[in-house]
Amino acid sequence: MKGSRCLHQLKSLRLLSHAGRLLPPAAAGNNGALFRPRSSSQLGGLQCAQREVLRHFHSSPACTKGQPARFLQEEDKTRDKSLVTHDDLFEQVAKEAKTKATFNKVIDVYTKGDIRRRGHVEFIYAALKKMPEFGVEKDLTVYNKLLDVFPKEVFVPRNFIQRMFNHYPRQQECGVQVLEQMENYGIMPNIETKVLLVQIFGEKTHPMRKYQRIMYWFPKFKHVNPFPIPEQLPEDPVDLARFSLTRMANDWDAKVTVYQLPCTDVTESGAEVTLPHIVGIQSPGQMEALAKHNPDRPVFVEGPFPLWMRKTCVYYYVLRADPTPPEEKIEEPYDPERCLSYPLQLDLDLDRDLGDDESFDVEDLDEGPVFAMCMTSQGDQATLNQWISGLQESNPILGQIPTLFRLGAGPRELQGVGDADSASRSWFPSHVQREEAHPGEEAEAVVEEEPRRSQGVKQ
Amino acid sequence: MMNMNRLIVFSRTFRIGQRLLGCHARHAGKEELRLQQRRSIKTHSRHLAYAKDLFLGQVNKAEVFPYPEIGNDELEEIKQLVAPVEKFFSDDVDSAKIDREATIPPETLQGLKDLGLFGIMIPEEYGGLGLSNTIYARLNEIIALDGSIAVTLAAHQAIGLKGILIAGNEAQKQKYLPKLASGEHIAAFCLTEPGSGSDAASIQTRAILSEDGKHYLINGSKIWISNGGMADIMTVFARTEVEVDGVKKDKISAFIVERAFGGITNGKPEDKLGIRGSNTCELSFDNVPVPVENVIGEIGGGFKIAMNILNSGRFSMGSSCAGMIKKLIELTSEYATTRKQFNKSLSEFGMIQEKFAMMALNAFVMESMAYLTAGMMDRPGIPDCSLEAAMVKVFSSEGGWICVSEALQVLGGLGYTKNYPFERFVRDCRILPIFEGTNEILRMYIALTGMQYAGKILTGKIKEMKKGNIGLVIGMVSKKLRASLGASVDLGLTGKDGVVHPSLEDSAKKLEQNVSLFGSTVESLLYRYGKTIVDEQLVLKRVADVLIHIYAMTAVLSRASRSISIGLRNHDHEVLLANTFCNDAFFKNNYWMVQLQKHSPENNDANIKKIAKQVLENRAYICSHPLERTY
Repeated sequence: MKGSRCLHQLKSLRLLSHAGRLLPPAAAGNNGALFRPRSSSQLGGLQCAQREVLRHFHSSPACTKGQPARFLQEEDKTRDKSLVTHDDLFEQVAKEAKTKATFNKVIDVYTKGDIRRRGHVEFIYAALKKMPEFGVEKDLTVYNKLLDVFPKEVFVPRNFIQRMFNHYPRQQECGVQVLEQMENYGIMPNIETKVLLVQIFGEKTHPMRKYQRIMYWFPKFKHVNPFPIPEQLPEDPVDLARFSLTRMANDWDAKVTVYQLPCTDVTESGAEVTLPHIVGIQSPGQMEALAKHNPDRPVFVEGPFPLWMRKTCVYYYVLRADPTPPEEKIEEPYDPERCLSYPLQLDLDLDRDLGDDESFDVEDLDEGPVFAMCMTSQGDQATLNQWISGLQESNPILGQIPTLFRLGAGPRELQGVGDADSASRSWFPSHVQREEAHPGEEAEAVVEEEPRRSQGVKQ
Repeated sequence: MMNMNRLIVFSRTFRIGQRLLGCHARHAGKEELRLQQRRSIKTHSRHLAYAKDLFLGQVNKAEVFPYPEIGNDELEEIKQLVAPVEKFFSDDVDSAKIDREATIPPETLQGLKDLGLFGIMIPEEYGGLGLSNTIYARLNEIIALDGSIAVTLAAHQAIGLKGILIAGNEAQKQKYLPKLASGEHIAAFCLTEPGSGSDAASIQTRAILSEDGKHYLINGSKIWISNGGMADIMTVFARTEVEVDGVKKDKISAFIVERAFGGITNGKPEDKLGIRGSNTCELSFDNVPVPVENVIGEIGGGFKIAMNILNSGRFSMGSSCAGMIKKLIELTSEYATTRKQFNKSLSEFGMIQEKFAMMALNAFVMESMAYLTAGMMDRPGIPDCSLEAAMVKVFSSEGGWICVSEALQVLGGLGYTKNYPFERFVRDCRILPIFEGTNEILRMYIALTGMQYAGKILTGKIKEMKKGNIGLVIGMVSKKLRASLGASVDLGLTGKDGVVHPSLEDSAKKLEQNVSLFGSTVESLLYRYGKTIVDEQLVLKRVADVLIHIYAMTAVLSRASRSISIGLRNHDHEVLLANTFCNDAFFKNNYWMVQLQKHSPENNDANIKKIAKQVLENRAYICSHPLERTY
């Protein structure tokens, strides 16, 4: 109910604004070329004009053929007097700055420039292609503005035959394409989009169907990920490390410790020394497991392992041990004097019946325990040693256990940079691979899953 | 079986003899002979247990019928005792003040001491009243009118000095019991430590033998010690190193610790919801020297002692709750009959009537259970009634809570104010399902003890069945078929050798039906789960609930039958109550047992576990807010 009422209001509003948009150039009246097509159409067929009083743009193609060409030419004169494709239009603006404002300006220039919106399909395709470049590919308002480029009412089928056949297929396809791109970026259309589509294409057309499909599935999938990543990841590497470690550990009791904050020092010799940050995480359960670890068996510091979060990749290290060999596994013997109130085990020679055995047959692969994880900007042994000594404060047993470092080349391979030295020294800043933050205005309307996957693959 | 019966008859005659003898002994001072007698009876200790046999689908009627009685002289004694105590509690105890000031005034404590209430169960030779469990339960009905005093006294004698009483040697008894009985010294029971209350592994307090071998040095701290702030004598449980078969092991031992030994400090009393007048605090022991002769029992034997103390103290909660509910009925019925609404008194409204009926029913059932159990415990020998006592505790603590809250409801808003004692009763009552073993843990104890007992006996049969013994299977099936066709179960409660009065015959039949179905349910549970039933807490909970209700049915039937037979006043009311309760319990039991026969997806257990898992994983209620939207 609410939606339809809203639709109605918006519709009437839009009609008003249509009138408004048409009026200024006509009222200005100083441009003969502009005025002429209107009058000519009126002249060309009075009865026709009367019948189509609402369809402002739809005029008989035959009688207005000559005039718009002239109009275009005149328009072109203002733009270096050359025939420009729409791509170029964007490129020209892009020379200044690629922002939402300039993108909107291009659309405005186009809509205001040509009252007939000639070539709007091409323009929209070009705009769609340029959107990521301008960083507006996740901006719902821009999509709506783009849809607004379509002339209204013209493509709405008006009888059952038109409705049956594909009415204005190119335009419909273009409309679908706009929605498709929105879908790919996980942008959920809003009521304004719907109003626009109804005005442009009418009910039960392909773009409308597309819209309905999106509106059916997007809300269903919005919270499908039980571990959502926020739209905006923390900028500070320490915060980012804290966030990703907590996310990986997925343990409420796990405690994050910052062993070292990043800072820059100048030594006496004048050389600049950058101290890397070291952030670790450990849960009480892990501490307990480490305390029970047999000190004769070494523990390993392994890494770096990559962790992708949206378009950011971070690297982490783990402290782990080999799985305990079966001969060392001692099951705690049942102590009948453990529980003061009731027997913890029954002294019976009966096992569970097969009918009540609801467990699955799962092949367990013993992987060996992970005792702690850390993230640092500098994955050399000295830094990681600092982490281990920090851990030792809360896990004194680490002082007795031999610790082996098994560090892989890790990030270098991914980075593909030849210089091993520089890579090992300072790969982190370049390695927190990050793309521009995107305007998160429609954060609540954004569905995360699908675009992330596709983007990840693209990368 | 015959043998067993004979044994019971034998022990009965002994009991009567002993009681007669006891009476004389009290006057003639033939203590020696009496002790001798007792000891000789101990060797014939009871092997049959009523509750355990229910797991096999048997009603051991000789155990619970007829309802235990006390002798006339004992009854006289009770009456003489009860009157002054009742007078003291109604005149001299200001419960509101105790609650408000969170302390029991010294003059009240002195009054309690003068009445001898600090040594109710301590034998006369040590200066106590030397009363039986039954009389102890009777006195508790009155004592329970003030929760704080009840808890203080219970901590003193039901657990605090019980260790000395049941496991101490003669020297220890001589030394400590007289002063404890007079109330000059107050006792406390120090077991719980940070960690969990029932987990012996959480006990970290340690006792180390000094170099000269004369003392143990105790170090550690205990929490939630009732009477902790004022106790002079404490039963402390601590870890000691014991050599078992050449291997050194940590075992728990019990010690008698006097505050005078030094090194004991107590923390600030806890600020509690209810029983505010009772003193609960943390105790810490810093190198407290305890002479070796103060070890209770033998070193390393503390676990058994702790278990025995805890198991023996619970039965009295039934009479305490009953006493409290009886008082509540008096208080609320006055209001309900005088207050008018729509020109009708409250008592004319069905929903108010229901509350009173419920309170009466609960009080009746609790009373019946408590005195049946107390009577069983008073039999010669050391009958193991821990299962029954636990059932009494679970039933009465939960029934008490509901009754108190319903009594408050009768008064509506008035009951919620401090002008009336109801809010205090509600607060005081809330501790009952928590202390002396939480009801959850006791349910585990009830169900598992019975399962263990039945499992031992049924293992062979179940194994045969699993192997596919046709004869057994056919027997089972035909038994089930007969039961489903409505063949009545006859366990001998009614009929020719019946023990239940004919006016309760229907209820007795219901009990028999329940018992027989319970037996087969237990068998199928053992068949299905075997020893892994330990992990099926939801199943065990139902088993415990069924058993509790069966025991309650037994208790009311036994009591009401006796009342009719000897023509007690208002016995028709008892019959009414008994029949009502049995009807109700019968349906509840059937419902639980039907659920027990189902698998977890059908009886909702699987869902319950899943919900809890998801909530606990997120440590929050995880549903989206109903006003939330996605587009």
